[in-house]
Amino acid sequence: MKTANRLTPYMFMAPAALIMAIALLYPLGYMVWGSFRDWNPSQTIGEAEFVGLKNYITLWGDPNFRESLGVTLRFAFFVVTFEMVIGVGLALLLDRNIRGMSVLRTLFILPMMIAPVVVGLMWRYMYHPTVGTFNRTLDGLGLGKIDWLGQHALTSVIIADIWQWTPFIFILALAALQSLPRSALEAARIDGATAWQQVWHIKLPLMMPVLIVTGLLRLIDAFKVLEVILVMTEGGPGLSTEILALRISRTATEFRELGVAAAMSNYLLILLLGLTLAMFAFTRWQEARARRVRAAAEEDL
Amino acid sequence: MLKFLGTTVAGATLALMAGRALANPYAEYEGTTLIVNFPAHPHYNAVMKILPEFTKETGIEVEVDQLPYLKMRERQTLELAQEEGEYDLIAYVVFSKADYVYADQLENLAKYVMNPKLSDPNYDADDLIDGYVYNIGFAGGTKGYLEGKTGSLFGIPYGSETSILGYRKDIFEKHGLEVPETYDEMLELACKIPELEPGMGGVASRAASGHHASHAYLLHLAPLGGRIFDDSWNPTMNSAEGVAAAEALKKIVDCGPEGAKNFGFGEALGAFLNGDTAMFLDTTVVAGQIDDPSRSQVVGKVGWALHPMGARRGSQTGGFGIGIPANALNKDAAFLLMQWLTSKRGDKLVALAGGNPSRFSTHADPDVNAKFPHMATFGEALKHADPDWRPIIPVWGKINADLGTTLSKVLTEDLDIQEALDGVAERTKAVMTEAGYYTWQ
Amino acid sequence: MSQSHQKQNPAFYAVIACLVFMAVGPVALMFINSFKLDVDIISGTGGLLFLPTIQNYETALCDVLWYELDHLDFCSLKFGGAFINSLIIALISTALTLVIGCMGAYALVRFRFMGRDTVSLTTLMVRMVPPAVLLVPVFGLWNNEFCLDKDGLLGGLIRDAFGGRGDVCLAGTHSGIILIYVAMNLPFVIWILQSFIVQVPRSLEEAARVDGAGPFQVFFLVVLPLIKPGLAAAAIFTFRIAWNEYLLASALSDRNTKTVPILIVNNMSEFNVEWGVIMATGMLLAIPPIIFTLLASRQIITGMTAGAVKG
Repeated sequence: MKTANRLTPYMFMAPAALIMAIALLYPLGYMVWGSFRDWNPSQTIGEAEFVGLKNYITLWGDPNFRESLGVTLRFAFFVVTFEMVIGVGLALLLDRNIRGMSVLRTLFILPMMIAPVVVGLMWRYMYHPTVGTFNRTLDGLGLGKIDWLGQHALTSVIIADIWQWTPFIFILALAALQSLPRSALEAARIDGATAWQQVWHIKLPLMMPVLIVTGLLRLIDAFKVLEVILVMTEGGPGLSTEILALRISRTATEFRELGVAAAMSNYLLILLLGLTLAMFAFTRWQEARARRVRAAAEEDL
Repeated sequence: MLKFLGTTVAGATLALMAGRALANPYAEYEGTTLIVNFPAHPHYNAVMKILPEFTKETGIEVEVDQLPYLKMRERQTLELAQEEGEYDLIAYVVFSKADYVYADQLENLAKYVMNPKLSDPNYDADDLIDGYVYNIGFAGGTKGYLEGKTGSLFGIPYGSETSILGYRKDIFEKHGLEVPETYDEMLELACKIPELEPGMGGVASRAASGHHASHAYLLHLAPLGGRIFDDSWNPTMNSAEGVAAAEALKKIVDCGPEGAKNFGFGEALGAFLNGDTAMFLDTTVVAGQIDDPSRSQVVGKVGWALHPMGARRGSQTGGFGIGIPANALNKDAAFLLMQWLTSKRGDKLVALAGGNPSRFSTHADPDVNAKFPHMATFGEALKHADPDWRPIIPVWGKINADLGTTLSKVLTEDLDIQEALDGVAERTKAVMTEAGYYTWQ
Repeated sequence: MSQSHQKQNPAFYAVIACLVFMAVGPVALMFINSFKLDVDIISGTGGLLFLPTIQNYETALCDVLWYELDHLDFCSLKFGGAFINSLIIALISTALTLVIGCMGAYALVRFRFMGRDTVSLTTLMVRMVPPAVLLVPVFGLWNNEFCLDKDGLLGGLIRDAFGGRGDVCLAGTHSGIILIYVAMNLPFVIWILQSFIVQVPRSLEEAARVDGAGPFQVFFLVVLPLIKPGLAAAAIFTFRIAWNEYLLASALSDRNTKTVPILIVNNMSEFNVEWGVIMATGMLLAIPPIIFTLLASRQIITGMTAGAVKG
């Protein structure tokens, strides 16, 4: 077996393909199958009764599911918007040659590396109505206390997520900035463009492809958030922070309705599939465009 | 593995020797390891302290899997459905009783009580507090989940809680306040406290979305004369009494401490321990922590009174029972452990370790009362415990979740109470129809 | 790029100081609180004026300490055991994911074969699957389908060797959790390693092949050493997920295979939130990722950029 034969690629691919088939694709298929059944955790799937599309229809008419979907979309929207604005803003601001930049970057990525469970725990403490850091500070300043995890639960949860994930956008935006063609910036500077004009007309448009992919990536991840919210609010008060991932897990474990939870998972999956396809299509389109632009640029030279 | 074999062999040898030496009902099971599933809960923390005593006396090892109780239920759901389960003895909350018994997953205790080799003649079952035995142990009687002529015993109450009113003696004295006897008095006081003591809330109550809000509501529903269902299973949480209970809850939360709307049990208790509220209306299980200086800022300042009266006295019956799963491997030894724990001696030991006793005699016991002066009041409260304060039917989990979420919305989003409860009633009706409760009407 | 550092105006440094404070503050707060008694945390007298105690850490680690603790009646928090479980699961799953993922990525980059596009596309797609979506099927499969009959040959052997009750199922075992973690991380690892493998010059592989090395030798002896930075990045990300994950582990583990995140969530139970102890456990859980971050921030950033930018 000295030379690569036709079987070689399959041998390299086999373990990965096998594991993904057993532990990802098969479960996903199993889930679709289970979503058509009235299935509780003490039954095997074979014992569960087939009910057709009932779970999907019930869910669609269920105000709690709709609210939860709304919360999820709002959470994802605000989180990604704020993180993009803050992250990119900081990247533009900090894109300079300063001593200790690498130390700074290291400190900034710290929040992302810490377990979501621990992040939730830290913030739950800081938001605590009486002993928490925020209210104590507000109180010390003579300002009124804020009912963080009560009336402003969703906002509070969003703030925690922004804390954890803005650095992600920041790092990627910074990398994008630093790989911009220096010549374009030089040219702009020589033409007398102000700092703002440089940002608006040169830097941002040039970074845009990377930013869009980053944003979409973050958006997909925003739908995966669960532990932070679970630890901070358990979805409450009411359903105000009950994102879909949390509702799926509650439906499965607390309400013991695996079929409904599976149907809900499918809805979420379809949503994410749409986003992934959008990202995929975008990168394809952008690669094609980049090729055209490069070709055009070479002609100009 | 070797160690396990070793103990079995040693156990068997010992058992043989003991069998010849003197009659010891435990001898046959010496060296057995029981795997039990208990909740992370103050009573069961006290149980952990007395278990070594059991092992010393009987030679039966006990390995405890302690979980928060929602987790515990999830775990049990899974384990009890297996052909051979992992657990030999489980603690369960009242509303699991319906599920487990209905699915035939708990052993009927009759055959163990009948077995002369296992059953201790000095057990004195009459000494167990009636309401709890009916609430937690019985199934198959009235409404399917209470005592009655068709009922039988599936578990024994262990860790009996009821609701009780704790109040700050110092605050009440300072302003010359009377300890509330009725609901009206309590609600009035609840909102008067924040005026008298700025920054202090009236009553600490749980209110967080889901189980907590629902629990707090039910706490008021029974004394105010309401029920979740009437006798023919029609939902009645939207009756005048039901609305009054929700109003009481809202008033308590509104006049409560900072952030009360999102309190779980832990936060509510924390607020009281921290001196942020003047009263606390919830389970008796907290007494131990209130007297613990490493947790509490109000040591020695708290007095206890019965759950205030509305239309009737009706405090909650909560807590846990212990039962033997039908798929357990060491059922006989598990019964011995169960009997030991709930015996007069075991009950007293656990009470002295800070647990919640389930026997009349323990509540009257001079040693226990000397150590915990509140025990007499608690014993009195247990007599008024209402075994039917919440329905224990298999679909309750679903209704409970809906009720809890809706109530949380009432508290945080100012939903109209009547409208909100009408909604719950309507959805409950649908759930009940689907579960077949109206088949005979 | 010029190496001279520009002078900036003071406001700029103030902004940076503020950012650093925000990024590190909560972690530092947790660190400080983990050395306080609950009473100090709750009463909140004097932020930094308190008597530090390691009592919280002692409580957390009571099952692995060699001495008895006075303040505890019994050891309820089996943190040591959970920590070992977390280590076993995270390390093994990271190692497996890397080896398998690397081979897969290599195949996708270097070979043209039937089904390549399908595999590549599938990998890309399943990357977005959230753990919550896998909860239901994984729970069902691992408990009911991926089992060996205890009376069967292999199942019987396992039961005899390891004890336990009932059929031998994946749920409740380390392998069960490892399997799902490997599967969950594979798409990501394959994705980012591709961009590193592409950069390995083909000429090196050709040279090795001319010297008589088989494809596996080429892969392990030539390619792997050259993509070390990529492997490091992938390893950190995989480890991070396996180390931090809660939901699936909590559905699949039993009392002997609990991981640290489960322990922490369980301990936030309703009866009393013991802030000090929880912060101590949180700190212990956070330490390995923090160490990685400090030691290998360059690789992490490379990995992040490679993962995101390479569409």
